[in-house]
Amino acid sequence: MPPIRDKFTIHSKAVVCQDVELKGDITIGAGTIVHPKATIFAIAGPIVIGSGCIIEEGAIIVNRRKEVMRIGDDNLFEIGCRVESPSIGSFNTVSARARVHHTVRISSHCVIGAACLVVPVDDEILDEYTVIYGPAAERRVWSGRGRVQEADLRRKHAEYLREMLPKFNRLRRGDGA
Amino acid sequence: MTPSIEYYCPCLAASPHPPPPHLPSSTYSFHPLHNLFFCEECDAVRCNRCVMVEVSGYYCPNCLFEVPSASVRAEKNRCARNCFHCPNCRNTLTVVPSDPPDDGDARMSPIVSSTLGEPPFFLYCNHCRWDSAEVGITFEKPTGLAAQLQKFEDSAPESLEFERLKEHFEPFLRASSSSSSALHSAAAHHVHTNPITAAASSALARDIPGVGKYNPLSRSRAGRDKHAHKNDIPDYKSRVEVASAGINAGGGEADVDFMCRLETMSEVAALEQRWVSSWVASLHSSDLKPLRIPLQSKKSKRCPSCRHILIKPEQKAQSVRYKIKLVAANYLPAISVSLPHAQAAVEMMKRSTALNKSAAATTVDEHGASAGALLAGKTYSFHLAFTNPLYDPIQVRLKKAQMMQAPGADGDKTRRPPFQVNLPSSPFPVAAFAEAWEYEDDEEVMFGLEEDEGDLDGMGRQQRDGRSKTRTLGVVEKRANVTVVGGEVILTKEARGRVKFNMLVSYTYRSDDPDGAEENVTGTPSRSHASSKAPELKNFSFYTVVDLGLIVPREESRIDPDI
Repeated sequence: MPPIRDKFTIHSKAVVCQDVELKGDITIGAGTIVHPKATIFAIAGPIVIGSGCIIEEGAIIVNRRKEVMRIGDDNLFEIGCRVESPSIGSFNTVSARARVHHTVRISSHCVIGAACLVVPVDDEILDEYTVIYGPAAERRVWSGRGRVQEADLRRKHAEYLREMLPKFNRLRRGDGA
Repeated sequence: MTPSIEYYCPCLAASPHPPPPHLPSSTYSFHPLHNLFFCEECDAVRCNRCVMVEVSGYYCPNCLFEVPSASVRAEKNRCARNCFHCPNCRNTLTVVPSDPPDDGDARMSPIVSSTLGEPPFFLYCNHCRWDSAEVGITFEKPTGLAAQLQKFEDSAPESLEFERLKEHFEPFLRASSSSSSALHSAAAHHVHTNPITAAASSALARDIPGVGKYNPLSRSRAGRDKHAHKNDIPDYKSRVEVASAGINAGGGEADVDFMCRLETMSEVAALEQRWVSSWVASLHSSDLKPLRIPLQSKKSKRCPSCRHILIKPEQKAQSVRYKIKLVAANYLPAISVSLPHAQAAVEMMKRSTALNKSAAATTVDEHGASAGALLAGKTYSFHLAFTNPLYDPIQVRLKKAQMMQAPGADGDKTRRPPFQVNLPSSPFPVAAFAEAWEYEDDEEVMFGLEEDEGDLDGMGRQQRDGRSKTRTLGVVEKRANVTVVGGEVILTKEARGRVKFNMLVSYTYRSDDPDGAEENVTGTPSRSHASSKAPELKNFSFYTVVDLGLIVPREESRIDPDI
């Protein structure tokens, strides 16, 4: 295996704190927020994160596959979660301490509940609006009511963090800057 | 499997002596100290099995609203405000407005400063994203939801039927409750019944076809009384015939059909989801309704013999404090048991695993397990730490309770007891409890001076105790209001089972308060008595059961090192 080459492309409007662990080829889109102590590992292939995502403390995002790991827009990765899925759509929430294995692809508007383990043996794609919750990682499909309000809240959340985080943290710039 | 100690409450037994600890039934008589109460008037330990429980208030666990007991019944024991359980996952639901009309591209919409939702409100579960719009429940206003839902509940056929049944039996219930309560008060003066409990007990004692009737002598008269009443009431005619009624719940052809065509598991409501609802709920998970949150109650407890309150919570639902709290932990010394050799083994394991993690781990584990265990045929010392909760020093005396042989256990009697326990026979002091122990270090010296020779002996041996296995009997350590004494247990070669024995703890305390201010601290039963004579020694004793752990048979222990 060749040594991991670091290459960070961070959009000028993204907020990536200094104290994050980045490895490999990583692209972070506009308005995305990466809290301190988050970890993004592009071990095998590159990771591309869209705009407006929030990656909280202790969250770990790993790409174990050769192909590009694409993360869409306005996703929320809560504290201490671990995500390895090769592709993630938009408006998803991965709650605190949840774990998503690399066999799962997440579409859009999905919710992985707190401390849920999503580790199927075979590859699978989570349908839109899938909700995984509870200690047994039960699944149901969300009706999507309240989706607009939630998206709104997500944006406000990101907006607030964009304002507040730079006041208390040093920011990391991309290689180009 | 740490050694433990439990305290005896004599409420279940006729004799003051506790049952032998090797009987499985004895566990019902022993309780951890923090579960016990202490009645000052009776000067006795009370447990949760013998106290009388009264409801002192109802409240909603979600909104902490205190519900007056008058409206509890009308609201059917559930919160009548805006508190609901998710029928799917039993999280609490929140009221949310509907989305504004979606213009299709959420992406492009600017960061909206405040999107206020629109009128149709619905209940929404933050956890599993269930919402009440799925089952067709929406609200025009976000307030008074329970009242809106209760209308549905009350108009349900089951509910109407139940109301009618209640009406029908009302006169009968009233008559039977008055007669049975009169009987009760005549028969047993300390059993207090209100009409509701009387009605409930008579309901429980009714004839059920196919079930043998529980009819003790004291009840037989009441039972005959009821039979007399039974003839008075007219037959009840139900509002609708159950069989013909179009109620979609409660089994039948429709459900069978549904189950046959079942495709996914999630279509069926799980048992957990159905049995919390008051009425027979349908099998379809798509029919689950939001549930009003059941109320909870704060309870106060009374002494069964003198009826004094032992514990009474504050009325406010937000408060977690008590108005009256007579718990045994404030009166009896707290005892904790430890096996020094097991502790040493654990320490050693920790230290060695910290030093060389991988290599020694397995061997140390084995070693530790055997080192911490009780091997048959060996002698072990154990430590009992007494913590004095009283503001006066106490003198404690220990005695091993005689093994009372149960009549049936004659076969055991011929055998030697599997172990022998030696406890320090001389009484030892435990210092008073003080709020602050800044002078902790001086304390040992101070008490060293007043100690008798037995204690000096104990202090002298203390040095050796840490390392080698000393056979210490007597005081091992003293600090603040804690005294640690050592005992030893000698296991026979063929010992099996648990090392469990009853121990009688008696302690002497001084009740020298001339005024009644600190009486609750000294735990004296007779107030006037205490105030007349100034320094007075009182004695209180209680039984405990000490469980030191499982005995490892000899064979196993010999095999262990070979592996």
